[in-house]
Amino acid sequence: MMASGILPVAALSLVTGGLGMAWAEETPVIPRFVEEGGITSIYEGEWEYMVGGGAATFDCNGDGFPEMLLAGGTAPATLYRNVSTRGGPLRFAAEPGGLEIDRVAGAYPLDIDSDGVTDIILLRVGENLVMRGLGNCRFERANKAWGFDGGDAWSTAFAATWERGAAWPTLAIGNYVDRKEEAFPWGSCTDNWLHRPNRAGTGFAPPLPLTPSYCALSMLFTDWNRSGTPGLRVSNDREYYKGGTEQMWRIEPGAKPVLYGEADGWKTLKIWGMGIASHDLNFDGYPEYFLTSMADNKLQTLAVVPETGAPKPAYADVAFARGAIAQRPYMGDDLRPSTAWHAQFEDVNNDGLADLFVAKGNVAKMPDFAEKDPNNLLLQRPDGTFLESGGLSGVGSTRIARGAALVDFNLDGLLDLVVVNRWEPAELWRNTTADAGNWLQLRLRQPGPNPDAIGSWIEVRLGDVVQRREVTSGGGHAGGSLGWWHMGLGAEKAPEIRVIWPDGSAGAWQRVEANAFYDVGRDSTARPWLPPR
Amino acid sequence: MNIILRAASVCAVMLWGWAGAAQAALPPEQVLQNWYRLMLELVRHTPTYSPPVASRAFAYVGITGFEAVAGGSDDLQTLAGQINGLTALPARDAALAYDDGVVLQAALSTAVKTFFSNTGPTGQRAMAAMERVLTEKTAAGLPGDVTARSRALGVAVAQHVVSWSLTDGGAVVENMGFPYDYALGTAPGAWVPTSRIVQQQKPLLPKWGNNRTFAMPNGATCGLPPPPAYSVEPGSAFYAEAKEVYDTVKSLTAEQREIARFWSDDPMLSPTPPGHWISIALQVQNSTDAPLAEQVDLQARLGIALADAFIGCWHAKFEYDLLRPVTYIRATMDPKWEPLLNTPPFPEYPSGHSTQSGAAAEVLTDFFGEDFAFEDATHLDDGLAPRRFPSFWAAAQEAGMSRLYGGIHFRSAIDRGLEQGRCIGRYVTALQTRIR
Repeated sequence: MMASGILPVAALSLVTGGLGMAWAEETPVIPRFVEEGGITSIYEGEWEYMVGGGAATFDCNGDGFPEMLLAGGTAPATLYRNVSTRGGPLRFAAEPGGLEIDRVAGAYPLDIDSDGVTDIILLRVGENLVMRGLGNCRFERANKAWGFDGGDAWSTAFAATWERGAAWPTLAIGNYVDRKEEAFPWGSCTDNWLHRPNRAGTGFAPPLPLTPSYCALSMLFTDWNRSGTPGLRVSNDREYYKGGTEQMWRIEPGAKPVLYGEADGWKTLKIWGMGIASHDLNFDGYPEYFLTSMADNKLQTLAVVPETGAPKPAYADVAFARGAIAQRPYMGDDLRPSTAWHAQFEDVNNDGLADLFVAKGNVAKMPDFAEKDPNNLLLQRPDGTFLESGGLSGVGSTRIARGAALVDFNLDGLLDLVVVNRWEPAELWRNTTADAGNWLQLRLRQPGPNPDAIGSWIEVRLGDVVQRREVTSGGGHAGGSLGWWHMGLGAEKAPEIRVIWPDGSAGAWQRVEANAFYDVGRDSTARPWLPPR
Repeated sequence: MNIILRAASVCAVMLWGWAGAAQAALPPEQVLQNWYRLMLELVRHTPTYSPPVASRAFAYVGITGFEAVAGGSDDLQTLAGQINGLTALPARDAALAYDDGVVLQAALSTAVKTFFSNTGPTGQRAMAAMERVLTEKTAAGLPGDVTARSRALGVAVAQHVVSWSLTDGGAVVENMGFPYDYALGTAPGAWVPTSRIVQQQKPLLPKWGNNRTFAMPNGATCGLPPPPAYSVEPGSAFYAEAKEVYDTVKSLTAEQREIARFWSDDPMLSPTPPGHWISIALQVQNSTDAPLAEQVDLQARLGIALADAFIGCWHAKFEYDLLRPVTYIRATMDPKWEPLLNTPPFPEYPSGHSTQSGAAAEVLTDFFGEDFAFEDATHLDDGLAPRRFPSFWAAAQEAGMSRLYGGIHFRSAIDRGLEQGRCIGRYVTALQTRIR
């Protein structure tokens, strides 16, 4: 059954139509990012660290300002405590709190034990770790306490969901090449794992191999068809699999995972899949997916959405038509194809349209691909096409980027950016756009398991469309965020909002003020929240 | 001869883990097989290696291996002076001892590292591991001076071939072979891009047909008559060929679909069409325990034939500059028509797979005979079942027809491509590699 709140479909097709939003300018406001210092973390390491390099952001000391954890590869990961003030320069202090662990390729925040304190999953070259949050940015290993088998693999992808009725989350972990294979590593993709809750409800059962596995570099639990039960999208690196393809698993509670196949409408797609970003770009209630790769990237939208809903998982690639292909450097004289990693849809100029950041960087020194490969910041226009602004906005760095996060670090309503680089220091930019639109940031809370309401949909009514974002845990490249969910509002000053909670129940529409933070509880009105400093 | 070779997947050979008798050097045949197995992976995993580029590498590495062995053989005759521009190679000192395994290992190691120098970090790591292990295993139990002398000779042979290769017109491939500037043809029926991939808005390697050939005089040597006159009239020969593609794809049998997939051999997802034929040759050699001289002879000839086939084919492709079936069929018959296979990003006539399969079949038939039956397990790891063929030409004809089943070629491109391949292959079989 379709969850409530879905607009009638097909009127605003990403394939065929423009979006026609009155408040979005035809030429988007070009954001301005100012580089900030103070971040010295480097993603180190050779072959086993050519992928990974994730950034995780989350609030671990309860002040509402997002901290960040940056993967270090062979060097220890670094937790940076956010000591910024509202609207001020970005200020961070390295914080030893138990996360300074080596061989970390990726990190994702999640309240695994639903105690109200954010925990961290560390993807490693070696044993993966679940780190229990103790408060005040202190963490401890919890593999044993939670029955989590960290294995011994080259882990490169993560996604989480709470299956219906479950007290503990289901964690999907994507694994890469058998790193012990030296001369013939191709075709040696190792099993991905599905860590489901144990029957006792005290932690995790032994992991279930998600076979076949094809060297996943990004995973995302996403309610692609709005059935109320998210599927697991897996983006795979064709460099190493044989007979593989992009994948999506149907994961029903209590049932064995089943792959979508041709009979379902799922088409074979072989790319160097490295990152997944999702957003409902065309306001039809269903997410579009951006898949990073080498050279041409993919922007997928459902090929057909029947009037009655229940679409098949068949996607059309509209990256070329929408100017989101980002296949090679847009500045400089290096015209070789690009290599794309983390991708994230966020509204960086608050015009009410999700924009797209793509981190770029050569694998190592592959001469077929650009060595000076600037990051992309693609601004969405009202007609659904994208305008490159990486150079003008200031984030078009040509360092060898991997993971990244667009997050409002100084709580001024403008999304800032951190990018993790291979062999070079991470970069941090403050968004200082002067003429951006209005905004809104929400934090969801629900009692019991899954307190951050992963799997919800946030809806904001803007004029004649509903802006939606799915609250997910996973995707990107090797890192993700938990905390405030940001929405650009354009000229709207008093939008209506509601939340479709993970069980499908819809909260009431309520009007809130723009340019403010709200805590939204399951059965209560949105409560304004003010930064403490 | 009617021998069915079974289960001969190259990947099943597993020579990598060879652990012969203690202190016994690795046989040179296994050096050859290991490097070729690795090359098939490198072709697949190095983006520059479109089929023409791959064929070039197979030719030069094949010649390197051949000359490394021929220099110490009483049976083999050098190709220097027979193929275009190859001069006499560094020779062995008749008074001194050499080890064929060490010579071959040093030569192939140097050649493969050169011709695949732009592979990624995993390929570099694999080449380094292969070199390290095979260098050690080939030298096991040998006197130090023999090893050093043999290694130096192998390197010198490879460097000679590499130096020669630099002047053939194909040594530098930029932007994966897609030109930054290229004026598309404007004549009716001219090729137009068929994909949404930005690089592929220009055709692949438009000047490849001008490269120096190996065994035949030049790229125009085995020229073709023009394709049927372009016409959109339903009664025309051209329309009829397109209608055949359209009708065939609409009513594909399960086997035709399987055949199309089996010979699809997409770049970066397979060892490419020339790699497929190299794989066939390796499987046959493994199953027949061919002596080293035969192995290097075959791989050199096959590499040359494949490389010349792509030069000749590309020369004709850009001479005739014909559009692909998907372009024509959508314009004249069915705007929503989709071929089964991805349409390659270059002109249609003739079919590259057909030309190079014809050339390969000519060489392999010359080696093994007209009715040499075999089983091809090239794509076993990718989940495609082996296919059996009564002869190399039967395989080549199926490879050609696979392009019609896949909806990416008209019949004329296939039939004439095979004949072009036969013509090119005959220049290769005319080479004198054996001392008579």
